[in-house]
Amino acid sequence: MATVEIVDIKKSFGAIEVLHGVNIDIKDEEFVVLVGPSGCGKSTLLRMIAGLEDISGGEIRIGGKVVNEVQPMHRDIAMVFQSYALYPHMTVFENMAFSLKLRKLPEDEIRAQVNRAAEVLNLNEYLERSPKQLSGGQRQRVAMGRALVRDPRVFLFDEPLSNLDAKLRVQMRTEIKALQQNLKTTTVYVTHDQIEAMTMADRIVVMHDGIIEQTGSPLELYDFPVNLFVADFIGSPSMNFIKGTLSRTEESASVICDDASVLPLKSSVGGSDGQKVVYGIRPEHLNYGQGDYSLDATVDVVEPTGSEIEVFGKLAGHDFCAVYRERHALKRGDSIKLNINPENVHLFDADSGVRL
Amino acid sequence: MTPRAKRSILYWLLMSPLMIAILFPFGVMFVTAFRPREELWVYPPTWSFSEFRWLNFVEMWDKVNFGQALINSLYVSITSTLLALLIGIPAAYALSRFRFKGKGLYRQFLLVTQMMSPIVLVLGLFRLMVYFGLVNSPNSLVFTYAAFNLAFTIWMLQSYFSTIPRELEEAAKIDGASSFISLTKIFLPLAVPAMAVTAIFTFINSWNEFVLALTMLRSQESYTLTVMVFAQVAGRYQVEWHHVMAATLLATVPVAILFSWLQRYMVRGMAIGAVK
Repeated sequence: MATVEIVDIKKSFGAIEVLHGVNIDIKDEEFVVLVGPSGCGKSTLLRMIAGLEDISGGEIRIGGKVVNEVQPMHRDIAMVFQSYALYPHMTVFENMAFSLKLRKLPEDEIRAQVNRAAEVLNLNEYLERSPKQLSGGQRQRVAMGRALVRDPRVFLFDEPLSNLDAKLRVQMRTEIKALQQNLKTTTVYVTHDQIEAMTMADRIVVMHDGIIEQTGSPLELYDFPVNLFVADFIGSPSMNFIKGTLSRTEESASVICDDASVLPLKSSVGGSDGQKVVYGIRPEHLNYGQGDYSLDATVDVVEPTGSEIEVFGKLAGHDFCAVYRERHALKRGDSIKLNINPENVHLFDADSGVRL
Repeated sequence: MTPRAKRSILYWLLMSPLMIAILFPFGVMFVTAFRPREELWVYPPTWSFSEFRWLNFVEMWDKVNFGQALINSLYVSITSTLLALLIGIPAAYALSRFRFKGKGLYRQFLLVTQMMSPIVLVLGLFRLMVYFGLVNSPNSLVFTYAAFNLAFTIWMLQSYFSTIPRELEEAAKIDGASSFISLTKIFLPLAVPAMAVTAIFTFINSWNEFVLALTMLRSQESYTLTVMVFAQVAGRYQVEWHHVMAATLLATVPVAILFSWLQRYMVRGMAIGAVK
């Protein structure tokens, strides 16, 4: 158990800087997810915490102690790799016991600890097998087991679920979260999948091009994205964006689109009259039917998922996606009315992408 | 006859000229080695012999000092192989794992050294060995064989090493292993197939090498097998072919055993080297 402080961390490969001064304060027992598109620097940051990459600038502290120059073997962390990195020439037992053997623990204690970890992960039957005799899910468990036996101060996960099939991924997601809640070990988890981030994290760090776009709890990020990138990245299907011009008077505000449609806004919104803006609304907030602020839309594609239907079409000259739990009988070419509650609208500056 | 059997026969027929060409010298070697001396020059030549004469080997062994040559060959081949691996493994590891200036140049240099035939260098090497006082010592061959095989060794090992995921060593480091432990407990055990293949090649190259051995070795006691066999033929008034062939047969045995024992590693290792 330990805190992890990341202070103004920079990383360069040759002349190219991939991390431009990143700050994250990870509390003891916290589950933090680093999320972002590939190439955003999240894995590099994780590898720097692990000690596998040199630090070009800034400081990393684990448990209050600066570890910039500390070798991975002395950091007391455990890491689960995307490829699992199981030792192919060792059995499952030997894989899990490797770190304990290096610590020169007595034989019976090693056996007891490995068995306990195997118990937690349902690996008892497989202890004498070699990694290549295991399925993807089982290998993933062994990789976790190897991290678990050590009882480290910090767990690091590098996209551990991306090699699993969809169903197993959902299952392991829940298991990892439950495990972390039991063990209360500080965890840093890297993924490019925002659903994984949303479902597992106490706190999400959204990264993009080597900087942090926003840090916050999953629902904070969902409800109050600070910029267009976060608004677009978090949520599936992602938020609808409509470009327009802000029009405001003393007591009211609205966005005028290129095709002259008027989109409702609450009057308290920021921004000045005539400003170019992007109007954001989540798919589940495009209410079906007539309301206070109704807009005309046409339907192109309807995709039923069972629990809900996803409707794709044109609204104010832009593509939109709407999600309904009710099974509206819609088909291609239908003209429908959509109404918007101004409270649910996210407004961003068109140039900087910053929330208004 | 099934179409499958027909096809097999056709393939064997197509392959047979090649097989005959390859097997013919071995056939001659085998037959001659077991013949009594009187049957060596029968005309027309036959494949048969009146007596399976093991005594040829016994006579040959004493007469040509085969035991000493065998020991010399084994010593030279084994030590040069070990030396090549000892130097080749760290070099290949560095090439596959570390980034450093001049890496591409170094790899190219290794390749260039392979373009030169040892014969071109034989005079220079002889002068070098004179300088070191190693002429007529098997050690002169140990060093030259190791050096000549080093490029191949490094190249081969490096392409295999690159297929071993870096993450395994990283995982070991995080598990608490020092660089040395992660190398000896994780990396090297996984590299055994590559090391085996490389070792076989180096061993066989050294075992069969002739020109350098002929140049460096002056006296009978230091002859390796290839030079020893040559000495039974060259510059003699009367060549005892049945002894020459017995010696040749015995000299090929260790290589054949090694090949059949390690060939599964070799196929695997070569395939990996080929893909990279």
